[in-house]
Amino acid sequence: MKRTLEILNELERKGVLSRYAIGGAMGATFYLEPLLTFDLDVFVVLPQAAGGLVTLAPLYEALRRRGYAEEGECVNIEGVPVQFLPAYNALVEEALREARETAYEDTPTHVLRAEHLVAICLQTGRDKDRERVRIFREQAELDLKYLTEVLQRHGLEAKWKQ
Amino acid sequence: MNNLNPEITRLFAAKEARRQRLARLSYAEKVKAVVQLQRMVAPLLRQRGRHVRVWELDEARS
Repeated sequence: MKRTLEILNELERKGVLSRYAIGGAMGATFYLEPLLTFDLDVFVVLPQAAGGLVTLAPLYEALRRRGYAEEGECVNIEGVPVQFLPAYNALVEEALREARETAYEDTPTHVLRAEHLVAICLQTGRDKDRERVRIFREQAELDLKYLTEVLQRHGLEAKWKQ
Repeated sequence: MNNLNPEITRLFAAKEARRQRLARLSYAEKVKAVVQLQRMVAPLLRQRGRHVRVWELDEARS
């Protein structure tokens, strides 16, 4: 995991990706009890290619050059299957901009804020996302003022109140 | 929940306290716990035909 994050940091330093942050179950695990997952979901802002196209191809190519192979939707980086998710809407873009700087052991990394993880779960809205929101309500120390602002900006207040 | 016998109520409370304790672990300790969960669940998922990979933590690789 530490080496995986070092590789992500290197890709960020070299501009292969403009910004990354851990999300999904491992992002949630930062704030909650450990949640079972087999993938490390990494949200990314990618540099725009010519023509304004956003593509994962240069990132996958950079990883391939370092010897990391694709496995289905993931890339196996130092024994951890990493799924890269390009920022796909305004909420995720904001979540990446405001991600927390933290450290895994002594390796710096970024994790999405708990409030953004809740908002993304509400927006996605599958059964497992609703269950995760329930666990966030029980276990996480949410900044409710900040969360309310996020939910208002992205039209998710009604889903939070359900 | 109010009608549960005291022993069951105590067990549920202890379970909840344990989850809260787990939520306060360091991130590195939680990652180890996730990998332990993966080790427990992977054989069951593989029996059902799902391909899953248990993460290799750095200390296991060195």
